[in-house]
Amino acid sequence: MAQFTPLDWFWVIAFLVLMVGCGVLFYRLGQRSQSDFFLAGRGLPWWLPASSVFATHTATDTPMFVTGVIYQHGLRGIWYATLFPAWCAISAIVSTRIYRRSLAFSQAEWQSLRFGGLGSELMRGWMTGWAIFLNMFILGWVGMAMGKVCQLAFGWPTWWGLVIFSSVCAIYVLAAGYWGVIITDFQQGVIAFSSIVIVSVWAIWAAGGPKTITARLHEMNQAWRLDLFHFTGFASGEFPIAWFLTMLVFAILGGVGMATTIDWFAEAQRIQSARTVRDASYGIWAGTALILIRDSLWAVAVLGFFTLYPNIASRSEAEMGWYRMGFEFLPAGMVGFFFATILAIHFSTISSHLNLGALYATRDLYQHYIRPQASEKQLVRMGRLSTLVILIGSFLLGAMMQEITKWLIFALWLMAAGVWLPNILQVVWWRFNAWGYLSAWMANLGMSWLVVWVLPAYGVIPVLPDYLQFWTLLGLGLIVFLPVTLLTKPEDMGHLARFYAMTRPVGWWGPVRREAIRRGLMTEEG
Amino acid sequence: MSAKGQSRAFIRREWTADAAQQWTKEDALAAALSLTSYLLIIIGGTLALLLNVVGMVILATGMVTAALTYWIIDPKLRAVSADYETKQKKFLERVEGITRWESRE
Repeated sequence: MAQFTPLDWFWVIAFLVLMVGCGVLFYRLGQRSQSDFFLAGRGLPWWLPASSVFATHTATDTPMFVTGVIYQHGLRGIWYATLFPAWCAISAIVSTRIYRRSLAFSQAEWQSLRFGGLGSELMRGWMTGWAIFLNMFILGWVGMAMGKVCQLAFGWPTWWGLVIFSSVCAIYVLAAGYWGVIITDFQQGVIAFSSIVIVSVWAIWAAGGPKTITARLHEMNQAWRLDLFHFTGFASGEFPIAWFLTMLVFAILGGVGMATTIDWFAEAQRIQSARTVRDASYGIWAGTALILIRDSLWAVAVLGFFTLYPNIASRSEAEMGWYRMGFEFLPAGMVGFFFATILAIHFSTISSHLNLGALYATRDLYQHYIRPQASEKQLVRMGRLSTLVILIGSFLLGAMMQEITKWLIFALWLMAAGVWLPNILQVVWWRFNAWGYLSAWMANLGMSWLVVWVLPAYGVIPVLPDYLQFWTLLGLGLIVFLPVTLLTKPEDMGHLARFYAMTRPVGWWGPVRREAIRRGLMTEEG
Repeated sequence: MSAKGQSRAFIRREWTADAAQQWTKEDALAAALSLTSYLLIIIGGTLALLLNVVGMVILATGMVTAALTYWIIDPKLRAVSADYETKQKKFLERVEGITRWESRE
């Protein structure tokens, strides 16, 4: 357990006062309108969304995840964490621009702009429910990670960490909405990044420095851990090239689409809050660059941890490695600063997902389906109420996390796999329609269960490695959504033409482009 | 550089509002370089922290590639943004109308 001195407690209390205070200060801005409460008035310069991208995607469980994969796989494990940055590298240039131009508050609202009629409403409703649940799940998941950290540091029951800190964070989210999120994300991003540098460098130093770490790995016959490309064969072993290539394809092509990973939903909000298309692109690009630096530091620090503790068999114990280094190696007076950093990375993710879940509940559920003529004041009030409901829901989900984690992680990953191609087609192919998209989602619900659990349990197919599950589900989904798309009517050409003139999507849009020009919505040159 | 000179340059750096709306080779190149720079930065950064000289070279190459990405895409992004901002208000009205069921097409 960590021993806190008065100076350590000073850091923790100062941080909590700073975060909550700064968030509450923006109360007046947050309550002005729905656009302020959820998008900070769409007026942010690129560096604010960038810091929010970094802060949101550095959560309490992130160092656990990175530590776990590096401890187990050596430096090649970093490719697990590089999927998201690789996807953002493409998205910043392609899908970010298209999405920002759509002006959709959320990915659910996008469905009403991209598609039309009953199909678009079914998609919007489906995506709204999915997003509300997803944010609750992430909040519960990240909350429980904080519970584990508090158990390590103070010996607290895990639910204390889950409830106490999410509730404190909710104070400024309820008060100031996205303004509170974005301002505190900037501060938290600066604190988190600085501390990650300090703690990681300190940990590397405590392990003897880079040369000692390298030498020790050679002495232990573990030098392969220094090789980022230490594959175990094309399709065999625990690190096949086929997996790596699948991840590259997933990221590169996925960056052209939208919602191709669950991270997109939070990115979408940051994109829309940027004041211009250019700011949106740079917000994603720069925020992701910070993540690369973060991961490099963590990877080397974890290698150092491995040289000190090479025989940890339990994955859950190994995952706590980076936290252990902070608590064990930092001097008194700095431990509190480290814990304040942990709070920073925790709050940034919690606040983002509280506000994001409330956005879907307010804009897409309440305003669109229940009270379309709601005033701005009513919408902000509903935003606050939704935030509270999602917070409480996250506690319930978090409490169940030990039992549900396995199958929920499966649902998240494989839902992404099965609708990955449709998420790209919705951007690049004019003929892809709402019915095709809906059929892809519904089909994948059933096929995921079959391919991953049911059929292997009955011996019909073997248990497939994850990259093969991805390609299998992609193929099975294609068999369903392609015929459905081609056998149902295209979207209304007038609707598509207006969508095209506004967003200028990339890909196969010839007939729509010609229609938009014919209607005078754009010129031949533009 | 004259308009004719710009049209002959491999990388276009001056854009009219209309021309910037189209997806061109500059976008494809920027996307490819963006990904390349990120991969080089993660590989090089990790190795450089281990005081590996090759890693330092890779990291430097990644940073140069990132700078090149910016050089290629920024003029176009500026042109796209400038044009789009003049139309955003009208587009916002349409988006709001759809959510409030006021404009159905």
